[in-house]
Amino acid sequence: MAILKKITGSFHMALLLVCSTVFLSAQTSVTREYQVKAAFIFNFTQFVEWPENSFSGNQSPLIIGVLGQNPFGSFLEETVLGEKMNGHPLIVKYYNNVEEVKSCHILFVNLPETNKEEEVNAALKGRSILTVSDAPGFMQAGGMIRFFTKNNKIQFQINLEATKYANLVISSKLLRLAEIFTSGKK
Amino acid sequence: MAQVNDTIQAVSALKKLSLEELMNIEVTSVSMRPEKLTEVASAVQVISGEEMRRSGVTRLPEALRLASNVQVAQANSHDWAITARGFNGLPSAGGILANKLLVMIDGRSVYNPLFGGVYWDVQNAMLSNIDHIEVVSGPGGTLWGANAVNGVINIISKSARETQGVFASATGGSLLQDQVEVRYGFRLDSTIFCRVYGQRFDQKNTTMASGKSALDAWNMTQGGFRMDYYPSKKSTLSLQGDLYSGVENSLAKVNNTNGQNAVAHFTHLFSNESDIHVKVYFDRTWRTTPNSAKPFFYELNTYDIDVQHRFPIGSRQSILWGGAYRLQQDKTAGSFIPKNRDMPLLSCFVQDEITLAPERLKMTIGSKFFNNVFSGFEVQPSARLALTPNKKHTIWSSVSRAVRIPSRFDSDITVTPVKFRSEKVIAYELGYRTRPVDQLLLSFSTFYNKYNDLRSLDSTSNTQFPIILANSQAAESWGLEFSATFQVNGAWRLRGGYTHFEKHIYPVSTKVLPVSVAFEGVDSKNQFMLQSILDLPGTIQLDLVSRYIDALPAIAANIPGVPAYFTFDIRLARQLNPFEISLVGQNLLEDEHAETGSSKIPRSFYGKLTWQF
Repeated sequence: MAILKKITGSFHMALLLVCSTVFLSAQTSVTREYQVKAAFIFNFTQFVEWPENSFSGNQSPLIIGVLGQNPFGSFLEETVLGEKMNGHPLIVKYYNNVEEVKSCHILFVNLPETNKEEEVNAALKGRSILTVSDAPGFMQAGGMIRFFTKNNKIQFQINLEATKYANLVISSKLLRLAEIFTSGKK
Repeated sequence: MAQVNDTIQAVSALKKLSLEELMNIEVTSVSMRPEKLTEVASAVQVISGEEMRRSGVTRLPEALRLASNVQVAQANSHDWAITARGFNGLPSAGGILANKLLVMIDGRSVYNPLFGGVYWDVQNAMLSNIDHIEVVSGPGGTLWGANAVNGVINIISKSARETQGVFASATGGSLLQDQVEVRYGFRLDSTIFCRVYGQRFDQKNTTMASGKSALDAWNMTQGGFRMDYYPSKKSTLSLQGDLYSGVENSLAKVNNTNGQNAVAHFTHLFSNESDIHVKVYFDRTWRTTPNSAKPFFYELNTYDIDVQHRFPIGSRQSILWGGAYRLQQDKTAGSFIPKNRDMPLLSCFVQDEITLAPERLKMTIGSKFFNNVFSGFEVQPSARLALTPNKKHTIWSSVSRAVRIPSRFDSDITVTPVKFRSEKVIAYELGYRTRPVDQLLLSFSTFYNKYNDLRSLDSTSNTQFPIILANSQAAESWGLEFSATFQVNGAWRLRGGYTHFEKHIYPVSTKVLPVSVAFEGVDSKNQFMLQSILDLPGTIQLDLVSRYIDALPAIAANIPGVPAYFTFDIRLARQLNPFEISLVGQNLLEDEHAETGSSKIPRSFYGKLTWQF
């Protein structure tokens, strides 16, 4: 009996351990990097001007989309919760593929397959969506903002041609801090 | 406490940061709660790990120079005199009389009850393990404990999660002869992170006024570990420990030092407004001078348990309260009576943060109460008011009382009918912080301190004890601290500060010997610091730290002063991933200069190769 009890006991322990590990890895997977990137994205809403017609009304939401895998956990939602840009409440939507992207203002692109970015940017071309990613080839693929890490700190590049084409006005403050990407460079 | 709420507060704190601040966050950092410096109601300055790295400093005491509200003077190759708001002791004492600053490394107090100060030579945290250093000038007695009379320094390490992978460095130079650092961080599973590290350095001699070598070369070997366990989203458990052993020359004498410590922290968040923090530690420090004529021996064992709990009352009050028990046991040789002593310390505190007007006006009142073997029951109350008319400005003010409890030196060297009492200060502070534009943070603080029962050397008619230590001095001090951080652009950051300090120490008894004034402190009136951190194209870094320290005035013919000095350090580095090569020149302006004590600090150079992946 004692042995049986011992075995079931250790079995329970192991089960508990497995469950908690699975649970926890889901809970703690948002790294500091993406917490900070979420804060950057929130900041972008305050320094970018979208054309009037990209909103259906004065109170209609400003939509932040995450395309592909969501690296932010619930962090991005928590960050923009209750926040507004010129009266437009900020909300977060998640998309699996680019076809699902309807009304959207900022789109964070995080696709598992590489070389998909070009298709995405082509599909969104001409729409007033600020595309953001940290994929290495994102700027060459026509993306607008790319995060990169330098000395453990997050910096970003902006592609002005692309934002201009999308009728987005980027505040000079944002530009001052960004590395400006021109298609010839990097 | 700074680390307590990082996960929960991360959302609200991060999103309040400006873009410049976001661009300055080290993303490998999890433990650092982004500081809302504009809202802190005290004269706090923060030195980040990155600012330390870019300054080129090699020893922890040197790193403190990067906060302009602290006075750091190097006495010789291995000793420093460090204080905030003056009272740095007699220059020739080499720092051993500076006794009004509380210093903690990850919550472990390194303030020493033997003479009431810090043995800086054995505080050799590996600098790349440090997340940030908070330097608070002004009393911190309500929250932090006894002896935080003029300031508190909190040295906070990175979690093991932030130091994953391999880090190694090798340094060779003219004063720092050699230093090797190795660190390896790994994870046991998705919730347990660990690191182990080791370092060894040899530091060369400084010179004496006569031009001869001060024969004060030293070395230290240190190793340690840290483990961070995140059992749930709301709980954190960390365990860490260090071992060190060193050999120091002082002319013909050789001191041996060694020590061990282990610290456990447990934090649990009940909600955004409520949490509990438990800290337990053990610390042993030991030193001896075996071959001197009067053998000196000292061993101190410290056991500490500390619990803090925070909870709200209604929507406008946040209570923080806690209790602690610390037992210190020492063994000494020489003139201490008794030779071995147990020093239990029992303390509790309560603090209420009251929001008088939401997001505008906040008041914090509280007090610490404790009982110690030297002076019995003590009270350290404080009241702080912070007015934040809008997010760009904070005006704050405070009144607080703090005590320095007697050290073994004060209490147990001369046994007289008059018991040595604690030293007391009442401090009045007024400060203003502003962020006129996102790139610029300015901070001003002024203070007026009134001290009573300060230590004095009194003459007596007793032939057996012609001179005794007594509490027969009082003092007033006042000053201004200014600091600024300016992010010129993405590649260039400037930070600096200026401190002006005045004091007047006076006897309250006719028996006080004139030397007593200098015994408490000979301090410079003005000091200035400027740090420049510049990224150049091609992964080149060009960094500069310059500082001016006003003269330490001569008190009498037999107590000469130290002349004012200005000097600067330059660091040039290039990243060649995964390597970094840096060349550093320190104290470049003059061949050598004196800061305090009898030694002169020479101009020095070193080269360093760092490997990280």
